[in-house]
Amino acid sequence: MFPHLSGLTLPCAPSRAGCTVRAFAWHPHTNKFAVALLDDSIRVYNSNSATVPSLKHRLQRNVAAMAWKPLCASILAVACQSCVLVWHLDPTSLSTRPSSGCAQVLSCPGHSPVTSLAWAPSGERLLSASPVDTAMLVWDVSTETCVQLQWFGGGGVTYLAWSPDGSKVLAATPSAVFRVWEAQMWTCERWPTIRGRCQTGCWSPDGSRLLFTVLGESVIYSLSFSEYRGEMQGQVGGSKTASIVADLSETTFETLYGEERIGGEVHSMVWDPTGERLAVIIRGHPESPNSQPAVAVFRTRNSPVFELLPCGFVRGERGARPQLISFHPCFPQGALLTVCWSSGKISHIPFFFVGALEPHASPRRSPVPVPAWHPRASPPSGAPHTCTGAGCAAPAPIKGGFSLPLLSSP
Amino acid sequence: AARAVIGRCQARRRRGRCVLGWRVAAAITWSVLLLPICTAAFIILSGLDPFHPVRWISNSFNDLYTSYVIFCIFLMSMVIIIISIFNIEFYAVVPSIPCSRLALIGKIIHPQQVIHSFVHAIMGMLVTWCATVMTKGRFQFLAVSCTPSEGLEDAVPQMCLNEYHLFFLLSGAFLGYSYSLFYLINNMNYLPFPIIQQYKYLRFRRSLPLLIKHSCVESLHFVRNFCVTYYFFGYIPKVWICTTMDLHTDGKLHPLDTLSGLLDLSLFYHTWLSGVFLLMTWYIAWLLFKIYATESHHFPIQPTFAQETDQCLPKILNSNPPLLIKFLALQDLMLLSQYSPVRRQEVFSLSQPGGHPHNWTAISRECLSLLSDLTQRLIAQQEAAAAANGRAKPPVGELKVPPQTPEDMSFQSQRSNIVLRASMSPLVKPSLMPVKTSPGSDVGSPFSSPALNYKMGVVDIKSPWHGPVQSPHVMRRGPKLWTSVSDQQMNGSHHESFPVLSAARTGTEAVQPRFIYTWLQNKQEQIKTFLSKRALIMYFFSKHPEASIQAVFSDAQMHIWALEGLSHLVAASFTEDQFGVVQTTLPAILNTLLTLQEVVDRHFKLPHVSSKPPRISGSLVDTSYKTLRFALRASLKTALYRITTVFGEHLNAVQVSTEHKKRLQQFLEYKE
Repeated sequence: MFPHLSGLTLPCAPSRAGCTVRAFAWHPHTNKFAVALLDDSIRVYNSNSATVPSLKHRLQRNVAAMAWKPLCASILAVACQSCVLVWHLDPTSLSTRPSSGCAQVLSCPGHSPVTSLAWAPSGERLLSASPVDTAMLVWDVSTETCVQLQWFGGGGVTYLAWSPDGSKVLAATPSAVFRVWEAQMWTCERWPTIRGRCQTGCWSPDGSRLLFTVLGESVIYSLSFSEYRGEMQGQVGGSKTASIVADLSETTFETLYGEERIGGEVHSMVWDPTGERLAVIIRGHPESPNSQPAVAVFRTRNSPVFELLPCGFVRGERGARPQLISFHPCFPQGALLTVCWSSGKISHIPFFFVGALEPHASPRRSPVPVPAWHPRASPPSGAPHTCTGAGCAAPAPIKGGFSLPLLSSP
Repeated sequence: AARAVIGRCQARRRRGRCVLGWRVAAAITWSVLLLPICTAAFIILSGLDPFHPVRWISNSFNDLYTSYVIFCIFLMSMVIIIISIFNIEFYAVVPSIPCSRLALIGKIIHPQQVIHSFVHAIMGMLVTWCATVMTKGRFQFLAVSCTPSEGLEDAVPQMCLNEYHLFFLLSGAFLGYSYSLFYLINNMNYLPFPIIQQYKYLRFRRSLPLLIKHSCVESLHFVRNFCVTYYFFGYIPKVWICTTMDLHTDGKLHPLDTLSGLLDLSLFYHTWLSGVFLLMTWYIAWLLFKIYATESHHFPIQPTFAQETDQCLPKILNSNPPLLIKFLALQDLMLLSQYSPVRRQEVFSLSQPGGHPHNWTAISRECLSLLSDLTQRLIAQQEAAAAANGRAKPPVGELKVPPQTPEDMSFQSQRSNIVLRASMSPLVKPSLMPVKTSPGSDVGSPFSSPALNYKMGVVDIKSPWHGPVQSPHVMRRGPKLWTSVSDQQMNGSHHESFPVLSAARTGTEAVQPRFIYTWLQNKQEQIKTFLSKRALIMYFFSKHPEASIQAVFSDAQMHIWALEGLSHLVAASFTEDQFGVVQTTLPAILNTLLTLQEVVDRHFKLPHVSSKPPRISGSLVDTSYKTLRFALRASLKTALYRITTVFGEHLNAVQVSTEHKKRLQQFLEYKE
């Protein structure tokens, strides 16, 4: 029915074997995250509270994405098969089963399945998109009104990313083209790619640089934008061409377990809010048995010149593949990477460093990154574990499910 | 040019007439330019002949250049201009929401609306006349020659009435009237501002499919209604036309006010098509006006030349311009605070000689006074609701408004008003203090209206038992008279001193005109209560709770922008405000926002207040004013979070009352 969607794989399609977590979302301001499970229920974990609310709704089918509303205590938008559900959770409530009356249903005919969501960083608007619908919707959630952003050609939208400064939005399509919208007058720039569709992308904290990857290529592209001033209404201001900043083709690494081959296409990519760490899920070659998916972490710097240096790999239990990665939006001591593994575990990997923007030089930052493997080095639970150049982080003990061991507030 | 126009309007202070200036001109020009395209589409569709497509197309294109089509286009341009003028005269940024059915009827028979309907009916007739001329065929002329009935073979041909033509003309008038009625009922004169900024062309393109669909469906409904009306009353105009123009009826033709006459598919199709044509051209004019009028306007913050002072954002916000200008200014404030660091810098700047933060002071003062106006209005409405619910008085001091620090008082004198009013018993309240209500608010609580306070003083003066004898004691106990008249009577304070009496007498004279007013009001109330017991009257008089709530929040768009603008500016000031001008007003801003937050929270806990917005169908008619209160609630919370997120722990150093400090702490912990 939709030929252009044939090659499309959602981040976690139910058919994909070994997929256990459908979606994951950190709250932008607090130590709280939501996890969508395979049975389409959503659990909300909070470091300050033992109650784990479980959200269920009869329209909550095929959850593909979740996003917490910024500048708000507890509003969670969920992309479902037929609609966008907006849960209004009471942060002080002790109930474990919020009633479905707490959920607002945002639906628009022809706009399904919804697979990607993005809140404006100012918290006022919500974007929703579907790979089937050519229109992207801008919602005013409080009044449940929407505006369609329509264009011609390129199909729907498979991936949305709103830049942290709120000025631009990346919208990837199922065809070999992606668009960058400017979020004031909502005009867009069209970017054709050479080989395939844009798989994933992420913005630098100031919204001046976009890193993206393309299906079928094992490189990371960078696209820089002129600094946003607000005076150039209706201009996106992208540079002429994107440049390759990293080549991730397959390489052999010496590890404690012998040689391992890592490299290939990038499955997803996240940039931490300080702009100092970039985490990438590299999908291994499906043909060669040695190669397996891995999470690679890079150290990045955005100014005065863009720099991207390898930092290390994050590895889970044997056989566990990383599926979703996300950075904690406000981790004070550096960056906190959360990885959802195919084994159903979620691990938090902290990176302790002092931001480059700080006036004093960091004594803890070593100049040379040490890619190191420490698999199963931390009993009893065999947690995934990494070392950064800044020193080893405490392993995250994960006990059969989800926990927030590292986030107990001091 | 826009600045000049707005400047002139400022000078003239005329109600929103010339404000739109070039915007209106552009809107009209575009709608007139689009008219030939619509006409071409109409001509092609009206000649529809699916069996001979080539002939159909070539005929239609030949028709396009004929002189009568060009004349029709000219005539319809005039119609479009007149319709646009009506759009301009009737637009409103704050919708007027009839709270009861009687109010709605009152609106329909209001002379202004009657003129509107009448002119639209005439215009509808003109458009359908053009449509018949362009359709040609059997609809074209009102009078056609016909042979009289069979009996007389040698009869001369005579003029007969072409009922189809009459049917068309009447349908046009009916459509025009219906359009005018729906324009009123659906509040189509309301100018909703879009939730995102977009270029005009894109907005138009986005609405066009909706517009076409809406016109088709509406036209179908209208034509159906018209057929029913014609079936019952069609003979009246027919006979009238026949007698005045001395025309005969053609016996061979079916009369149209019968079932078989109306079941004419071609007639129905052509009527419907001309209806679609009429509605589309009118809706396009309306849509373009809406798009042009709500386009954001760039106001300068600081004048580059001395004579431009009047057009600056702070000046406009603080003066009392036409509402549309005020809306545009607030919208611009919201946009600049969010997107433009350069213009924010101008807001935070100091005046050149003197070093005063005039821009910031003016902007924040206006925003805060808007917000406290709303607070006040909501308190009044809540009191009224509480009174209507049968509670004797709302709990005193429920609001817990803190004592004001001196700088707060100086900053917003109005808020003190709220404090006092909230902390006093409603019956003894406001006679001493001026009750300030915003211009748009017609919602006064019965307790806060000055009339009632005079009533208290008046009733005892009038009451026969006391005569002229008034003691200060009794006066003080005035409010109690409502409940304990007999008590007073028995006490009978006959032995009071005379100086007091004379004082009371002078007081009586002063109060006299008010007394009459009050008496009238009393009577009015009595009549109302008497009538309200009759069911039919009740039907018309009963207030729809949802409508009254909508009315309270009808201008909330202003407050939403004020909140957004203020909070973005304050948040930006954390890094951008070099001179610390925002710091001085931060306590006042926090106080206002937190007080409003409490009041809005309480509002949503009132009975009859739904906590979820009604579903808005994606139709052409915008009903966003119905959901403004939800938008206000959301942006208020977001505004507070925006400030607390940016300032974080620093807010503990800001002077606010303990109550508000607690609330702020909740916000800092993301627990609101």
